[in-house]
Amino acid sequence: MAAASGPSVRQQFADTMLAVGQEDPSLVVVVGDISHGIMQAFAQACPGRYYNAGILEPTMMSMCAGLARSGLNPVVHTIAPFLIDRSFEQIKLDFCYHKLHGNIVTVGSAFDYSNLGVTHHCYGDFAMLKTLPDIEITYPASLVEFDALFRQAYNNKSVTYYRIPGRIHGVDFKASDIKLGKGIKVADGKDVTLIATGPQLNTALQAREKLANAGKDAEVLYIHTIRPLDEELVRASVLKTRKVVVIEEHMRSGGLGDDVLRAVQGISDLKFQSVAIPDKFITAYGSYDELLGVAGITVEAVVSGAL
Amino acid sequence: MNDMSVIQKPVLNKDLRRQIVDMVVAGKDGHIPSAFSILDIITHLYAKVLKFDAKKPLWDARDYFILSKGHGCLALYVNLHRHGFVTDHDVEMFCRFGGILGEHPDMTKVPGAEASTGSLGHGLPFAIGIALGHRIQGKDNRFFVVVGDGECHEGTIWESANLARNLELGNLCVAVDWNQSAMQLLPYDDMPAKWKAFGWNVIVIDGHDADELNKAFKSVTFAAKGIPTVVVAKTVKGKGVPLIEGHGKWHHRIPNTEEYAEIMGVL
Repeated sequence: MAAASGPSVRQQFADTMLAVGQEDPSLVVVVGDISHGIMQAFAQACPGRYYNAGILEPTMMSMCAGLARSGLNPVVHTIAPFLIDRSFEQIKLDFCYHKLHGNIVTVGSAFDYSNLGVTHHCYGDFAMLKTLPDIEITYPASLVEFDALFRQAYNNKSVTYYRIPGRIHGVDFKASDIKLGKGIKVADGKDVTLIATGPQLNTALQAREKLANAGKDAEVLYIHTIRPLDEELVRASVLKTRKVVVIEEHMRSGGLGDDVLRAVQGISDLKFQSVAIPDKFITAYGSYDELLGVAGITVEAVVSGAL
Repeated sequence: MNDMSVIQKPVLNKDLRRQIVDMVVAGKDGHIPSAFSILDIITHLYAKVLKFDAKKPLWDARDYFILSKGHGCLALYVNLHRHGFVTDHDVEMFCRFGGILGEHPDMTKVPGAEASTGSLGHGLPFAIGIALGHRIQGKDNRFFVVVGDGECHEGTIWESANLARNLELGNLCVAVDWNQSAMQLLPYDDMPAKWKAFGWNVIVIDGHDADELNKAFKSVTFAAKGIPTVVVAKTVKGKGVPLIEGHGKWHHRIPNTEEYAEIMGVL
C-alpha cells in the first residue's frame, strides 16, 4: 500500500470513531475484516457497537442501511472496490432509494494497493456514486480533514462517502478551514488554476513552483468534497485565469474534471486539461508512485498542461 | 405431507385472492401466481401474529414484516388494505399514474411497507440490520421476512443466513416461499438442508394450511439473542386457481375476459 510512514488518515479514522463513539451512542461501526486491529479501542470503549461482519460486503452494506433504519448512525468500512463496485446496488437501493443516512469509509481506492492488481483497484468510484441522488462524496487527504468532515456529516440525513487515501498531501489545514462542500484556495495566482483533490494537492503545489520558474503564476484550489462541489470557488478562479488543470486519482470519465468542466461552462477563451487516470485498467505492478507514472499523473504533466 | 394433500385442502383467503385478481385486471399489471403463493402466509401473519397499529405505521413497538420477494407485493397490499394501512383509493390506483402501489413495494410511499424491494436478495440483509439495530438499542421488536425460493439463488441470502446465525439474531424469523420455482432452473434444491447447514432452526410446513402456519409461528421464541428460525413453507404458485397454478405463462399475465370469468368462478 502507498501509506507513507508517519501519521495516516486510516489511523485518524479509528481515532475519530473512538472519540465520536464515546460522545454519541448511536454510532455503530461495521468492518469487513479490514482495520480490525486499529478498531479495537473503539470496540472496547463502545461495547455492542462494533462488528467485524466477515467477507460479505453487499450484505454488510444492506445491513448497515437497516441499522440506519433502526435509528442508528452506521459506519461501514472495507476496501474500496468491494464496498463501492461490488456493493453498488446495495448503496443505491438500500441506502439511497430508502432515503437513509450512513457513512461509507474506504481504504484502497485508486491503486493504493498497487501490487494487488485490478481486482483491488478502484478508480471509478466518484463516477459511480455521482449517479446516486443526494450522496456526499469526500476525499480527506489529511488527518484534520477526516476528523472535521466526519464530525460535520456523520449524523446528517445523507449517505456520505469518505475515500481515505494511503498518503496524505502534507499541507496543514486548521479544522476551522474544513467545511463540507467548500473548497480551499491554497495559493493565489492569476495565470492558471490548478485544481487538485486528495494527495495530488502535493503534485499541484510542486507544479506551481516549477510554473513560477517559468514565469507563470498558478492559483491552487484544493477540493476535499467532490459532491457537492464548490462550484462558486472553481468558477471565480477560472473566470480570472481562463485556464484550468484538474489533477485527480480517478478515471478521467466521471471524475472531478467532468464536474469542473460543467462548473465553468460558458466562460470564454477557456483552456482545460485533465491529469487523471486514463479510461483503462492499470495492469502494471510496482509502487504507488510507479503506477502514478503509468497513469500519467506527474508534476511534469501538470506543468505541461498549465503552459 | 405430499403434493396431493396440498391440492386437496380447502383454499384459504378466497376473498383476498379475488381482490388481487381485480387489482391486476384494473391496473393491467401484476404477478398473480407469486402473490397467491405467499398470500396465506402473509395473511396469517397480519391476522394472528404481527403486532402493529395501522394508524401509527411507525409505532416503535411494532413487529416488522419485510417482503423480500417484492414482486409478490399484491399479497402484502391486500393485507395492508384489510388492516387499514392503505385506502380503497390506493387500491384502485394500483399501477396507475399518481398511485402509491406499484409492482414492487416502496417504503417511501406505502404506509406499512418496511422496505422497498424488487431487486432480489436485499430485504433479508436489510432486515438483519434493523433487527440488530433494535437489539443494540435494547428493544424487543420481532422481525419477519418472506423470501422466495428463486430469490434463494442470490448470494446475499446465504451471506445473510451466515451472518444472522453468527449474530445470534433470535428475534428474526424468515419464511421461504418454497413453491419450486427455483427448481425449474437448478433442480437440486433441498431448502431445509441448506438452512440447517447454516445453523438455523428449520420448520417445514404446508404454506397453505392454517393449522400448520399457526403452529409454526407460535413455536418461534424470538429471543433477543438466540438462533434465528426459518419456516420453509411448501407452497403452490398460483394456489387456488387451477388455470394459473404452476410455472408457465401466468407468471406475469393479465387475465382476459374469459380467463377472468374462469378464475372468479373458481374463487
